[in-house]
Amino acid sequence: MVGVNTLREMYEQMVTARRYEQRLQEEYLEGKQPAFDISAGPIPGELHLAAGHEAAAVGVCAHLDDEDTVTAPHRPHHVAIAKGVDLDRMTAEIFGRETGLCKGKGGHMHLFDPDVNFACSGIIAQGCPPAVGAAMAADKRNEDSVAVAYLGEGAVDQGAFLESLNLAAVRELPVVFVVEDNDWAISMPQDRITDVDTIAERADGFDMPGVRVDHDDAIAVYEAARDAVGRARNGNGPTLLDVQVHRRMGHFMGDAEGYRPDEDSERAQRLDAIERLADDLRDRGVDDAELQELRELAEDRVEDAIEWAKAQPEPDPADAHEDVFVDDPAAASGGDD
Amino acid sequence: MSTDVDSESVWPADADDVDEAVVANWFVREGGAVDAGDTLCEIQIEKVSVDVPAPESGTLAERTVPENGEFRRGDVLGRIETG
Amino acid sequence: MSKPASDPGTGGVDRELTMSRAMVDAIASEMRADDEVFYMGEDVQDYGGIFDSTEGLLEEFDRDRVMDVPISETAYVGAAVGAAQAGMRPIAEIMFADFVGVCLDQVYNQMAKNTYMSGSAVNVPMVLTTAVGGEYNDAAQHSQTLYGLFSHLPGMQVVVPSTAYDAKGLMHAAVRSDDPVVYMFHKRLMGIGWMPAPEGPKTPVPEDDYTVPIGEADVKREGGDVTVATLGLHVHRALDAADQLADDGVDVEVIDLRSLVPFDTETVLDSVEKTGRLVVVDEDYQSFGVTGEVVARVAERSPDALEAVERVAIPDVPIPYSRPLETEVNPQVEDIVAAVESVE
Ligand SMILES: Cc1ncc(C[n+]2csc(CCOP(=O)(O)OP(=O)(O)O)c2C)c(N)n1
Repeated sequence: MVGVNTLREMYEQMVTARRYEQRLQEEYLEGKQPAFDISAGPIPGELHLAAGHEAAAVGVCAHLDDEDTVTAPHRPHHVAIAKGVDLDRMTAEIFGRETGLCKGKGGHMHLFDPDVNFACSGIIAQGCPPAVGAAMAADKRNEDSVAVAYLGEGAVDQGAFLESLNLAAVRELPVVFVVEDNDWAISMPQDRITDVDTIAERADGFDMPGVRVDHDDAIAVYEAARDAVGRARNGNGPTLLDVQVHRRMGHFMGDAEGYRPDEDSERAQRLDAIERLADDLRDRGVDDAELQELRELAEDRVEDAIEWAKAQPEPDPADAHEDVFVDDPAAASGGDD
Repeated sequence: MSTDVDSESVWPADADDVDEAVVANWFVREGGAVDAGDTLCEIQIEKVSVDVPAPESGTLAERTVPENGEFRRGDVLGRIETG
Repeated sequence: MSKPASDPGTGGVDRELTMSRAMVDAIASEMRADDEVFYMGEDVQDYGGIFDSTEGLLEEFDRDRVMDVPISETAYVGAAVGAAQAGMRPIAEIMFADFVGVCLDQVYNQMAKNTYMSGSAVNVPMVLTTAVGGEYNDAAQHSQTLYGLFSHLPGMQVVVPSTAYDAKGLMHAAVRSDDPVVYMFHKRLMGIGWMPAPEGPKTPVPEDDYTVPIGEADVKREGGDVTVATLGLHVHRALDAADQLADDGVDVEVIDLRSLVPFDTETVLDSVEKTGRLVVVDEDYQSFGVTGEVVARVAERSPDALEAVERVAIPDVPIPYSRPLETEVNPQVEDIVAAVESVE
């Protein structure tokens, strides 16, 4: 049984993440209408939003502490929120501001928050090896922290993932690989590119448990992750956790989704893990007024972060030349001419 | 004789809730010859891009909406001089 | 049929094409002519390529010839090598050049070396297409050009079109080449609705097939005072800079390098022998790259002609996300103007 307070926290994080994506979408489209110009507006570049993926983030991260490492892929915001990444500084990063997590150098696919051991990468599956490395460090130092690598179902065909499974298994490292299966890799449906019924089956050849959570349910994810994280923490090696989620938006903002059947988009809208968890909370005696309060808290938190971020200064262009190395910044200037 | 290049007939059903768009690209200069069915221009409705074919053969007499210009659904995009 | 790019000739047709449409035009024509030509990459079927590189192909060809593949670049780029060695003419796409890292072995140890290592017993007639470039704030892992990386590693021809006319002619040449060709198309030049292109890449494009020979640079603007040699997006920035400088009485010659391997040293030399002043502009990292190579070739062959030289490239930093930071490191028109003025 999951305690009601845990559920309440998970709900609050889920509505925060959902609200965050809705508000970022609005901010992103600012200056991009009627002509959609990817480089215009307060947030330029690609933006991959995770509405519909929240259960996979909160159900796993509920078992993690700051010392545990999480790597996320190109669609990272919900996981960052669940891991406790500083929301103000993350938002400032997405707006490209000087006080952002990465001084405006990283952007939304490259968020780093060492205070809570969170990082991400925009190259498919390339967060897996560093997660194995974090686990290796914990193992060598006899610490009981674990590492979690998030990836999409499209990423499971990438060498970096398969090699990481093997390295983690053969060294019995404390890693949990969490696949967020939203059925689509941009425009490619899963059955076009990966010939297994469920991604969890991938674990079979690596001698590790493969666990499938086949419906987008935060409690089911929480329970599966309790076992997987516990296994890792107790020194029993890695697990592959495969969670069904739903892509409620395009792959990135700007994706007209012409390839996607309407019924599939509608289904993703209909199956909402947040609504499901709200029902569970009601069953556990949390009334609508309290749920409403949690939603309002989340909205305020998101609004505050966006407001703060937008008030932050843009970086000084000269700063572009710094941070290539932590030592000897002069060496980074590309010569002295 | 001239024919209007109209934006209403190419408007996609899934963009029914939108009524503004942009001409992203013209493929024929004013004065250029076109055959009926040739792609004249590409319009961008939010994130969807749609090719606009020439309704008739002739000469593109006028681009009523310039490249990168905004227009409203139903506006005439250009004029073809026929015969 | 081969025509010089400086004289596109419309063949009586008044159509102009965006770079992406010109590229697809050539691919479709090669696929029609030869059943051994096929295209594979991620999101090249229903999506038509994230940067429109295969837009419309599925209307004419089936899903075996326009193939979506798993996100397994090592496997499918390597498969293109194998299919090419078996005599087919595959075109494989790496969605962004930045992703070459995950399959670099197949590119530089297999595709690029098999011909040489086998003493030409085998050859690898494939095309590797890939999108390059920044200036839309996509940050360090999605904005690189990596022109220098591909050109440094011997065994692959490397082409970089900057206009629709060249895009079509170079694609025909690339598919017909009996050697591997890396075809690098700049996202900002493709003419995609959601990423507006500058003036210039859209040009008249004949319906008929023609090739732009690999290994020939193109003088995109003649001038007698200063030579600007560049490629890709920066051809158009250099042309803008030349227009501005013309108002001040400085007559700039703009050379579009167009091919990096093989490299057309003669065209650059001829120009520098005329102007005496060379500015090389590149959207790749400065050190150990295209700018140094161009300067070295001129310095070796014609040291006396070279009165002044300047390089304008990405300082040796990864591409930052935030707009003011990216603008700082990616050469802008003003940077080119300033460099020309400094050698003038
Ligand atoms: C090595 C590599 N290849 C291709 C891409 C381009 N790309 C970005 S996201 C994506 C699809 C990923 O699908 P999935 O892993 O299922 O995650 P989702 O986007 O559905 O969350 C692709 C192909 C990339 N970033 N890295």
